[in-house]
Amino acid sequence: MGSLSGVLPLPFGSKVAQKTRVDYQNTTEGALVQRAQAGDEAAFREIVDRYQNKVFSIIHGIVRQRNDVEDIAQQVFAKVYLSLKSFDFRSSLITWIYKITVNECFDYLRKRKVRKLVYESDMSEDEVRRVENSEPSVARQAPMDDTLARRDYVVKLLTRVSEEERHLLMLKEVEGFSVEELAEKTGMNENTIKVKLFRARQKLVKAAQRLERSPGLVTG
Amino acid sequence: MHAVVMESLEEYLSGTLKPAALRDIEAHLSSCAACRDEVAGMQEISALFREMAPQETIQPVPGFYNRVMRQVGGRRAAPAFASLFSLDLAFGRRVVFASLLVLAALGGYLVSRESEFPGGPSPDVVMAQQESPSFEGAPAHEAMLATMTSYEP
Repeated sequence: MGSLSGVLPLPFGSKVAQKTRVDYQNTTEGALVQRAQAGDEAAFREIVDRYQNKVFSIIHGIVRQRNDVEDIAQQVFAKVYLSLKSFDFRSSLITWIYKITVNECFDYLRKRKVRKLVYESDMSEDEVRRVENSEPSVARQAPMDDTLARRDYVVKLLTRVSEEERHLLMLKEVEGFSVEELAEKTGMNENTIKVKLFRARQKLVKAAQRLERSPGLVTG
Repeated sequence: MHAVVMESLEEYLSGTLKPAALRDIEAHLSSCAACRDEVAGMQEISALFREMAPQETIQPVPGFYNRVMRQVGGRRAAPAFASLFSLDLAFGRRVVFASLLVLAALGGYLVSRESEFPGGPSPDVVMAQQESPSFEGAPAHEAMLATMTSYEP
């Protein structure tokens, strides 16, 4: 944990046993990745077949736009293909793909927000008001839309933390991995994971407090 | 946040804490308002993450792999201008170094030109230059007129 524990006096470690790192290179999946890294298209196809359902689910969970899921998944696997040579087996392949997928989703949401702002900037004030009034407000919507509003809110909060923190929070909260499993999957030790998660959670709480103080930001 | 809570925070939030540790945390939370508030905020946000869990399975449409490979081909064929620099850092560094050299040479030239007239030519020198007759016995503009009238194509 090094400098992290120096800055934040955490009691972690007293009960946590240090695990030996998993050697992802010398597994059957490691062999598959090495073949793909060497340019074997069949190996890459197997990687896509193995993880495409998972990637589709992650994307749908974050963006909830059925029509855009395939486009984002294509971007994810294109990125996996083009950067596979830089994959260094420090984590499992799915953890690496998960990270790329989450980043791609947040990139998509950011671009969609920018597009919306540009579109609205081209409209007159009356037109913006008309469009806003035609969109059903959270209060008037069915319970399903309330779920979407909560999802949008947590996505907004997640834009306030770093890429790494977001990735860890998603793996812990959405995928339900324990700290021990996270350590195994990411190659970090358990203490580091606990510190990073603790800090990420503190940031989320602070971001939520800020959003509550200025409610306009919640819908923005 | 106090150590007793921090130690087992992740297990507490995910509800996987062993009964003895759970009793310790809850005993502390009942007496420490600061920890109670902070944990409550974290629990509230933790619950929100449930909305991001996949609620239905979306199967890729057949031909997904081919479409991925088309994307790969497209990205390879048209590298962005910015990526030219990011791909080859050494090239980028050379461009920056060359630009600095050109700027330094240009700056040096301008400074040396300035030093020929430290502080610029004085007003007297300018006046003397303007008033100095280029033709003997007549002011400059008259001499110019004389030249033009005597011009024969």
